[in-house]
Amino acid sequence: MNKSISKNESRRRFFRFIGKFGTIVFLLIMITFFSIMKPRAFATVRNLLNVLNQSSLLIIIACGLTAVVIIGDFDMSVAITASFSGVLVTGLMVKQNLPIWFAIICTIAICALCGMINGLIVTKLRVSSVIATIGTGGIIFGLNYAYTSGSPIVTGIPKGFLNMTLIRLFGKIPINIIYMAVIVFILWIILNRTELGQRIQAVGGNSVATKLSGINVDSIKITSYIFSSVCGGITGILLSSVIGSGNSTAADSYLMNSFAAIFLGSATLKDGEFHILGTLIGVIIINIGFNGLAIFGMSNYVQYIFQGAILVCAVALSSISRIYANK
Amino acid sequence: MENNKGMTISIKGLTKAFAGVKALDNVNLDIVAGKVHGLIGANGAGKSTLIKILAGVYQPDYGEILIDGNPVQILNPGVADSLGLSFIHQELNMVPDFNVIENIMLGLKKERKFGLLDWKATANKIIPVLVQVGFNKSPFTPIKEVSVAEQWLVAIAKALYKDVKLIAMDEPTAALSESEVERLFSIIQDLSRRGIGVIYVSHRLDEVIKICDEITVFKDGLLTLHEKTANLTKVEIITAIAGRKVEEFEHINFNYEKGEVLLDVKNLYDENKIKGVSFSLKKGEVLGLAGLVGSGRTELIMTLFGARKRKAGTIIFDGKEFTPNHPKDAVIRGIALVPENRREEGLITNKTLNFNINLPALSVLRNIKSLPFISMKKSSSITTKAIDKFMIKTNGVNSPILNLSGGNQQKVVIGKWLECNPKLIIMDEPTQGVDVGARAEIYKLIRSMSKEGISFLIVSSDVEELPILCDRVIVMANGQFTGELQSCAISKEEILHLSYAEPVQQYIYEQGRQ
Ligand SMILES: Nc1ncnc2c1ncn2[C@@H]1O[C@H](COP(=O)(O)OP(=O)(O)OP(=O)(O)O)[C@@H](O)[C@H]1O
Ligand SMILES: [Mg+2]
Repeated sequence: MNKSISKNESRRRFFRFIGKFGTIVFLLIMITFFSIMKPRAFATVRNLLNVLNQSSLLIIIACGLTAVVIIGDFDMSVAITASFSGVLVTGLMVKQNLPIWFAIICTIAICALCGMINGLIVTKLRVSSVIATIGTGGIIFGLNYAYTSGSPIVTGIPKGFLNMTLIRLFGKIPINIIYMAVIVFILWIILNRTELGQRIQAVGGNSVATKLSGINVDSIKITSYIFSSVCGGITGILLSSVIGSGNSTAADSYLMNSFAAIFLGSATLKDGEFHILGTLIGVIIINIGFNGLAIFGMSNYVQYIFQGAILVCAVALSSISRIYANK
Repeated sequence: MENNKGMTISIKGLTKAFAGVKALDNVNLDIVAGKVHGLIGANGAGKSTLIKILAGVYQPDYGEILIDGNPVQILNPGVADSLGLSFIHQELNMVPDFNVIENIMLGLKKERKFGLLDWKATANKIIPVLVQVGFNKSPFTPIKEVSVAEQWLVAIAKALYKDVKLIAMDEPTAALSESEVERLFSIIQDLSRRGIGVIYVSHRLDEVIKICDEITVFKDGLLTLHEKTANLTKVEIITAIAGRKVEEFEHINFNYEKGEVLLDVKNLYDENKIKGVSFSLKKGEVLGLAGLVGSGRTELIMTLFGARKRKAGTIIFDGKEFTPNHPKDAVIRGIALVPENRREEGLITNKTLNFNINLPALSVLRNIKSLPFISMKKSSSITTKAIDKFMIKTNGVNSPILNLSGGNQQKVVIGKWLECNPKLIIMDEPTQGVDVGARAEIYKLIRSMSKEGISFLIVSSDVEELPILCDRVIVMANGQFTGELQSCAISKEEILHLSYAEPVQQYIYEQGRQ
């Protein structure tokens, strides 16, 4: 009998641990493995900074999208908004001759407006979020083409705008990492340490009970959509500065990667809850994997197989663990 | 049901701990066929845990379960089902978009015709059971359009529909009113006559004493009393549950000052359920709202709280016109709501105790008054205060809300409003699932808050509770008022009588205003 209690209890502890830290353990194993196998190419400060740099833009857009996923909705327009924002910011500078700072502000404001419209459609017209944002995504994509007639904006972009993402702090740390860190920090504070953040989380948990606690659920939802679009917009602006052009499909691939990171993140540290820190770790897991595989000389398609497989395995492992941890 | 030979379930040395805290501690118990076995104890004593182990939801740490002397391993709910065990759990688990029949048949073997599901044949088998429990709507109604009380009737029908040898009911009557309870009791008596064992969990002691052949009391996971009901008095049972003497909460003759009118409702109509309701409520008054299930009580308070559409009528609150279009309008004016269905309407179920307690009054948590940042330190200290005030049993301020027992969750739904300093607290079945000790505490709290001038509007199906608690009771039937009872005249019989009476609206309104 004594044996059975220790067996049961230790089994439960094991599954509780796997459910929360499984993905992190996997990240550490991956880092250790790559470091041992390719110490010169992988385990250098430079390479790791490089991975973080490459992850920065995806982290920003994915963390913004996390706000919408937390309330239980999906924003399928976020990557198209990001592409649009890259075109818009360069276009405003090149075609409308606006100064850099003003072009950036206008672009972010327009992205915020897109988010607000998404939120209004979902809350006031009661269209389900996937349908609403696929619809607005289509409209934004069309506007994007109308603005550029499909050809990317390449020439005449001010040097200052391109330099915005080229600076290295202390000659070493790419500035994008700093942008990313600041935005993630702000989002984390908002979601975890402000009244608005508590309300966003409450809506995600139970919107009926939230409403009956005297909270205006609709305006909370709209705010979440604005976060998502604005972060998408920032990613789009930075991306256009990095690639040096305004390209109308540049950020489209961020959509699936963001969702992959968000769901990986929900299996990290918390019991299937979506959260900013998890999303951040999710992106890093995906990109460390990509980077390591690339160093091994694997071709692109292996990396996609890796991303798909790790996502399914991690989420399955954590949800199964949760069942056994509570038996 | 063919199995005339009843079965005996023996529980031996059963122990179950959650995160080191023992929910059940070395429990030994025999449950005999054809007997109604009452399982009682304070909130968090371990009753639901025992039932969930029998149901295969949890696995025990120690101990074994024997059926007719043979050890069994109930690894999952499917095993429990095939052993002939059937359950009404404390929390409803229904699929909102499925209809009544589909919900009953979830996970059961269905009638088939040419390999396809034959819903008609299934319905023909189920309808008699639904009629038996007193469910009057069409069995094809989606569950989301059925009231909470009626959902309980469906849950009962689900447990009865199968061929079973033992039925365990975890607080089946918490949301039911007197007449449905009576009907359930006659069903239970019929079951035990047929040799089926019944485990009955409830905090309504009068019910337990009335229906149960034997009573088992749990306290902090330990079995502290097991005795034939006939050999016990109510006081003995209460003392065993609370571990101390609980003074009976007697009806006090409240000669409270007839203060100013706080709430004045005139000719209120909604789309379909409320048909011209007028009443007023004074500062510091405790007003009860009685009536049968479906009489419109919940709809009335939801309309007052802004969660349902008004069609006509005026409301004056605190001297000013009040037009609630959203619950936030009500909360801003100082009205709080303790809803009927704690998991669907009262709690953010994936969050912690701390999160839930602080949700309605987040601005209290500000460190700097003008900035919307919240202080985690303040939030835990407010939660700690609520835990002490309501005696909430928990592992800590940050334990997930669903790890609390049902009664303790109910205390959270009440406790979360304290920091809002409400002027009026509307409660729908406030003590459902709350144990005798804590119930007395809640009554005391309501009394002391009403002395401070806070008014209460309380919907309750517990006819023992209304006379103890209320200064005045209004009875509803079919969306209208049928009568009013002043403090001393409030009695179980009068309430029941008025529940079936014809509406007499104007009279009540004039009375209330005096
Ligand atoms: N899943 C869980 N995780 C952690 N603790 C739990 C869990 N389920 C129950 N508990 C704890 O176990 C104890 C017993 O809970 P249980 O639900 O059996 O009480 P109960 O007697 O049914 O109470 P009530 O009358 O309030 O329903 C409580 O202290 C509760 O907090
Ligand atoms: Mg219980």
